[in-house]
Amino acid sequence: MTEALIGFAAVLGLVLLRMPIAFAMGLVGMLGYAHLNSSRGAISMVGRLIIDTSQNYGLSVVPLFILMGLFVNKGGLSRELYSLSFAFLGHLRGGLAMATIAACAGFSAICGSSLATAATMSKVAMPQMRKYKYHDGLSSASIAAGGTLGILIPPSVILVIYGLLTETSIGKLFIAGVVPGVIGVLFYLLAVRWTVGRNPAAGPPGERTSWSGRARAIKDVWAVLILFGLVFGGMYGVLNFWPINLTFSPTEAAGMGAAGAFIIAIARGMRFKDTLDALKETTRTTANLFSVLIGAWIFSNFVNLAGLPEALRALVTANDVSPATVIMSILLVYIILGCVFESLSMMLLTVPIFFPLVTSLGYDPVWFGIVVVVVTEISLITPPVGLNVFVLKGVLGDVPTGTIFRGVTPFWIADLFRLALLAAVPAITLWLPQWVS
Amino acid sequence: MRPFTLNSLLKFVSRLSELPLLLASAVLFLMMAMTFADVILRSAFDTPIEAATELVRIAMAIIVFSALPVISGRGEHISVDLLDSFFNSFWDRLRNAVVAIGCGLMLLWPAQRIVVLAERAASYGDVTEYLGIPQTYVAWMIAISTFVTALVLICRGLLILFWRNPSSD
Repeated sequence: MTEALIGFAAVLGLVLLRMPIAFAMGLVGMLGYAHLNSSRGAISMVGRLIIDTSQNYGLSVVPLFILMGLFVNKGGLSRELYSLSFAFLGHLRGGLAMATIAACAGFSAICGSSLATAATMSKVAMPQMRKYKYHDGLSSASIAAGGTLGILIPPSVILVIYGLLTETSIGKLFIAGVVPGVIGVLFYLLAVRWTVGRNPAAGPPGERTSWSGRARAIKDVWAVLILFGLVFGGMYGVLNFWPINLTFSPTEAAGMGAAGAFIIAIARGMRFKDTLDALKETTRTTANLFSVLIGAWIFSNFVNLAGLPEALRALVTANDVSPATVIMSILLVYIILGCVFESLSMMLLTVPIFFPLVTSLGYDPVWFGIVVVVVTEISLITPPVGLNVFVLKGVLGDVPTGTIFRGVTPFWIADLFRLALLAAVPAITLWLPQWVS
Repeated sequence: MRPFTLNSLLKFVSRLSELPLLLASAVLFLMMAMTFADVILRSAFDTPIEAATELVRIAMAIIVFSALPVISGRGEHISVDLLDSFFNSFWDRLRNAVVAIGCGLMLLWPAQRIVVLAERAASYGDVTEYLGIPQTYVAWMIAISTFVTALVLICRGLLILFWRNPSSD
């Protein structure tokens, strides 16, 4: 156990010295494994892991879902989603910020990454909110917070990797993210409400859209709604109409989604250059994610060899700690780690250690996956590292980081309430997945 | 003819690095098209592409390991810049150089092991199930890419140390 803790401290130290997270985890894992086993054993494990991970069939969903999101974006969906949300919410006080949250949720249903959701929506929503004289704090915070929904509302790259890591059904994980995602949207809307309640000048109402205008806005997104229905309908086997039986595995669903998004984007005038940009960006992101994944796998092999999961379990049993206390402590660890780590590496570092403990206490693996993702979402808007805030800062440029963090506080508190609710009542998360075989 | 400079060499390398990305992009597009075709053929005509799974595996390896040297050379790996403000520009440069060179050197170790695994796959005659593609090709590709990545990282570190910050290239 001591070795594992030293390993953790070493990873943290290297990461703070700006070593890429993948290399920090890989190096410490490799050296630790060599120390406990043998250098021959360590190098064999690492070599095998690099070859096998890069050829993992299940992981091919990752680039395909990323590609789907990028194609749909090139097809101009983000703008149309925003118009749709504005048509229904824009006339309320704080309505444009609410529309931003709703559009982020809609975009999350196609895109599996929070950073991409925040980056995309900031380009669409921010100019509108500026036009209506929204305060920068509220506008940027609604994008940063709304963007976090990207990894919870399916598809989600993080949930795919959690599923592969813990051998939990990706189909169940995806559908389990829906209700917590909707609760997230409602709580964020309340946070907007609260902000404009305290300071009405922060979010003046826009003009009301007529019902015919609303119908037009719905018509603009129909193609994407069909795509969403096809991808998830196929995944959950509800598209079986004789003689065609459309049932897919997650990889096939992602492939269908990407191909469908490609067709939609081409029909809407995506140029060759845009197509190539989307493909290139996907390959770069994929290589990046896989490096982190391989590094984390090496590190988790070391931590398991060092016996950290068993030691934790023994500690819990010996001290007769209640399961609720264990969960609360784990969540606290996540919130603290979230201040420093990027979401994927945080999950990869901790899940191999906490997962055996949590499941041995009788908790559901699907529920734990969702709770981990929700707490990861919180880390995306927690100072000082909150990545979504920095993405926004990068895109907007002229809004100080402090203003965004101040604006995001009500959303952050809303997130804590949601986390407490989901942790206390697992049935909220597990209600939908029970219908999936 | 323009005189040869380090600057023009770097520009050339930067342009050259688009090639592996183009290869990865083409393979990704084909993987998407094949998955689509496989589902349609299976659902409508009951004739799936039987080699689809093994082709996806090989495609994934090509995508990841074509792009890996490029993102390493461009310094695009995910890292945390929390303590950046505590370093002045000299220490900042030194730290970035040491980290890049260290990462490169560390990769040499598994890279050699992958070569051994590739040779072993060749001597066992391991092939894929449907198309009989020798596994050793894929392993060799991974091994070469890991060596190239190591080399790229070391060069990047040396450039930071002796020249300037090449992050924009």
